[in-house]
Amino acid sequence: MTAERAIAQDVEANVRQHQEHDAAGNSKFGFIVFLLSESVIFLSFFTGYIVYKTTTLDWYPPGVTGLETRDPFINTLVLVSSSFVIYVAERYLHDKKVWGFRLFLLITMAMGSYFLFGQAVEWRSLPFSYQSGLFGGTFFLLTGFHGLHVLTGLLLQTLILGRSFIPGNYDNGYFGVEATSLFWHFVDVIWIVLYTLIYVWQ
Amino acid sequence: MTNISLEAPEVIRGQPYPGAPDNWKRFFTFSTDHKVIGIQYIVTSFFFFLIGGTLSMIMRGELITPDADLVDRTVYNALFTMHGSIMLFMWTFPVLVGLGNYLVPLMIGARDMAFPRLNAVSFWMVPVVGILMLASFLVPGGPSQSGWWAYPPVSLQNPTGNLINGQVLWILAVAISGVSSIMGGVNFVTTIFKMRSPGMTWFRTPAFVWSVLGAQLIQLYGLPALTGGAVMLLLDITIGTSFFAPERGGNPILYQHFFWFYSHPAVYVMILPAFGIFSEVLPVHARKPLFGYRVIAVSSILITVVSGLVWVHHMFASATPSWMRILFMVTSMLVAIPSGIKVFGWVATIWGGKIRFTTPMLFALGGISNWLFAGITGIFLASVPIDIHVNNTYFVVGHFHYVLYGAIVMGIYAGIYHWFPKMTGRMYYEGLGKLHFALTYLGTALTFLPMHPAGLMGMPRRVASYDLEFAYWNVIASIGGFLLGLSTLPFILNMVSSWIRGEKVGNNPWRAYGLEWLTSSPPTVENFEELPLVVSGPYGYGKNQALVGNIPNPGLTQFSESLTQQQTS
Amino acid sequence: MLKLRAILVMTVYAILVALASLWMAKQSYSWFPPEAAAEAKLLDDLFSLFTGLGTFIYLGVIGPFLYSLVFHRAKKYDMSDGPPIEGNTWLEVVWTAVPLVLVLTLSFVSYRTYEKMAVRGPMELVHLHMPEIIQPAYADPFDSTPQQEIQNAAETAPIEQIDVTAKQWAWIFHYPERDITSTELHLPVDRRVRFTLRSQDVLHGFYIPAFRLKQDVVPNHEINFELTPVKTGTYRLRDSMFSGTYFAANQADVVVQPFHEYQQWLADAAAGSPTPAFNRAAFEYSQANDREGATKDKVAVRGWDTIPPAPPPVVNYAPKHEPDSPPA
Repeated sequence: MTAERAIAQDVEANVRQHQEHDAAGNSKFGFIVFLLSESVIFLSFFTGYIVYKTTTLDWYPPGVTGLETRDPFINTLVLVSSSFVIYVAERYLHDKKVWGFRLFLLITMAMGSYFLFGQAVEWRSLPFSYQSGLFGGTFFLLTGFHGLHVLTGLLLQTLILGRSFIPGNYDNGYFGVEATSLFWHFVDVIWIVLYTLIYVWQ
Repeated sequence: MTNISLEAPEVIRGQPYPGAPDNWKRFFTFSTDHKVIGIQYIVTSFFFFLIGGTLSMIMRGELITPDADLVDRTVYNALFTMHGSIMLFMWTFPVLVGLGNYLVPLMIGARDMAFPRLNAVSFWMVPVVGILMLASFLVPGGPSQSGWWAYPPVSLQNPTGNLINGQVLWILAVAISGVSSIMGGVNFVTTIFKMRSPGMTWFRTPAFVWSVLGAQLIQLYGLPALTGGAVMLLLDITIGTSFFAPERGGNPILYQHFFWFYSHPAVYVMILPAFGIFSEVLPVHARKPLFGYRVIAVSSILITVVSGLVWVHHMFASATPSWMRILFMVTSMLVAIPSGIKVFGWVATIWGGKIRFTTPMLFALGGISNWLFAGITGIFLASVPIDIHVNNTYFVVGHFHYVLYGAIVMGIYAGIYHWFPKMTGRMYYEGLGKLHFALTYLGTALTFLPMHPAGLMGMPRRVASYDLEFAYWNVIASIGGFLLGLSTLPFILNMVSSWIRGEKVGNNPWRAYGLEWLTSSPPTVENFEELPLVVSGPYGYGKNQALVGNIPNPGLTQFSESLTQQQTS
Repeated sequence: MLKLRAILVMTVYAILVALASLWMAKQSYSWFPPEAAAEAKLLDDLFSLFTGLGTFIYLGVIGPFLYSLVFHRAKKYDMSDGPPIEGNTWLEVVWTAVPLVLVLTLSFVSYRTYEKMAVRGPMELVHLHMPEIIQPAYADPFDSTPQQEIQNAAETAPIEQIDVTAKQWAWIFHYPERDITSTELHLPVDRRVRFTLRSQDVLHGFYIPAFRLKQDVVPNHEINFELTPVKTGTYRLRDSMFSGTYFAANQADVVVQPFHEYQQWLADAAAGSPTPAFNRAAFEYSQANDREGATKDKVAVRGWDTIPPAPPPVVNYAPKHEPDSPPA
């Protein structure tokens, strides 16, 4: 039994090390699982939107013929580009260039804020409300829910920006940054689908 | 996640551990130990089981006579709504999560779940959900009275006109419960995928772990859809959107789709861990390997997938087009196959074995026989013409209570008795256990069998009053219901007195195969001194082989060990 | 020798189980209300098939199960394990394939019955003038009389059109040809009837157990629903989709009568001017909310606010009493 035991203890030590270092691996796995689950709620809202749009007789409220697409399109470009920016930020951190990371993170946050600001402007300019039938309800539900996620993403980015100033913060890896970045990409992909459904398919 | 100190293994006896009677305070803290959290879930949910059960006994009191003369109709409607909601969200889901929480890390040879703090947060949301549900009884207008389905437009009708009403509280409670469950799902799936002990390949993983995996995957793909529907319902009630409100152009049938897309697979979230418990208990108490283990394991995942494709069978009588009815009839019939495979496997497991009628074994066997009956009535319900007659009648109520009480609750009891010695270091009283079983089995039959003919004769469900011809069946069912209430008493007595002064046991009183039986009873804080190196499959009965290669396998290779001997691993 | 004995025992058991299943299948007819519609007979036959097969499966599994519990017990001091049998591929294939074939067959038979019932899916909102009867392409597993009855009814006479309105908490039946309303549903025997179901407020369920048919009634939808009563008598219509406080009280009588009696009833109703009918929900509500102060309801535990019921329907044919159809 002793030889086996020695081998096993060796394995155990490796596993321990692996599991300790792989705490981040577990976290990443878990976070991806969470994002997949979260996407189902958007999927269910999208399905609802499609069903309503294809089965409702009076889809648009009186006086409304469609949605402006120019400004939302610009917002979309900004948001989608910000995904590349945060990717660049992550690369800087990977190369241990924290100031580069912080700069591009700030740019991402600016772009994200611009998107949210643009949404708010659009919301205020609309001639209908969330009570304007199914069109109004689903529009504000989808864009509002997505906007909440953008806001959450910005808050996460603020958090990781702040933590980048703590000495020794990245000693055990940078899972927080990876998660924030993944979340931001997720928010972008959701927006692309949303934009297609609401603004393109009219 | 935790800083693993190499000094921990030396501190075994000096440190207080869960289960020691003088350490009960530990269960009221924000502990991140999965064993503490598991017991917190189990005890909290049992408390709500008693509340939900009390509600049902009041209902059976009302239904023992045809007229609505015990409670006002609004009260009866609140009773059946909250009975269902509490039993599902506050008892069945949490108790199974509790058992899973306790057992999964032990069974896979891990020190804890992947995210212990998230685990604790998930648990502490449960009392919050419970408080919201119970508080809804105290607001003007009373609790939700629209059934646990909360179908609009009834759920949108708000007689008091208040913003904070029972229905809103109910939706909030369900939403928080959903968040807690999704967090749990992430935790379980990550733990099972990433933290199995060295040597534990997928086909050396216990069937219970497979079933928990299957169940938690369902929670992850299903709950968000329910949450979506609940959000839309909440917005309709509070800010006047028109998603489901027909007078504002909404579509109430769409709510049913959102609701059932989750709530059908949800029933498999409940039955799968019970199946897992049967798969674990039978081999131990029949001393024989689980027959067809690999197929049983994979069938759990098959159920996870197929159960997501059957939800419209709850809507056969709604405004559902014919093609949809037929499609979902076929998928609903097909989902019986993976379940059937398990039943046959279990019968083959005990066949030719060396069966002992211990309490866990009795509950497992009883649960399987009840499941057989309930599964067959489920196939009846899958048939569109039959369902058109019995939908929304007591036939359905009888069917699902046979599943819930007859199979799931009996599975839960089987699990609690089977792992009670591991959790507490003491053995329960066998006599009380057998009494509990007898009362439960009889009570289940008396209460829920008569519901089937009542439904066939046309008695609708959710009725506070009924026509005279149904009285006969209802009297029997009510007597059975009271008997079920009584049956919990020997259980409570057993649990409390055994935990305090039951006979102490060693690591492996059942001489069972399983990593959890290699640790002390109860296990120390980080479960294992050394992570076990698994060298064989999970049900090696009759083969006289070791389960792990690096630590002793007490109870497996020495049949003559005394049950009361304290063993250290 | 042992193997032969095992096969013999299993065969005998299988035969006994088959006999028991046949018996149960026959018994199943007695678990239902009278077969008052042609569709009911079709359903009862299908249910009987399911009952027979279900009994066979249940007894077939429980038999070995109980046998094992009796004869495969551990001896008191025997601490050894049982045989290390982990599976049997052939057996597992059989017990996967057989149930698969079985459920697919049951699906198919159910589908055929559904087609024969021809109640038509509720999404076909176009009012057709001629009924569609699907000709069975294969021989019927059971008596084809119900299908024949449906066909005869459809071919010999025009379909009776009846508008049904469900509300909280009453049923109102409107006969458009004579323009009369009633709270009691009268139907001619042996004729096809088409209902157009409407709800004024929430979801309801139009359920007549004696016909074995139900259809949920959805607000803002007009749902067409056809059936063929074949047996005279009085039956019960119950609301089957939970619709609020007085849901359980939302019932009506269904009277199936010979055609000339039905015509007579229509004429009599047309002659009478509309009066309020008895409505259980309104009656109970007035008892509980008696304006004179003292409430007359007899419950032990009082409840909460409710949506007030609609006032009793004012209809041509207005029974002043509770629905009183005999059992089922």
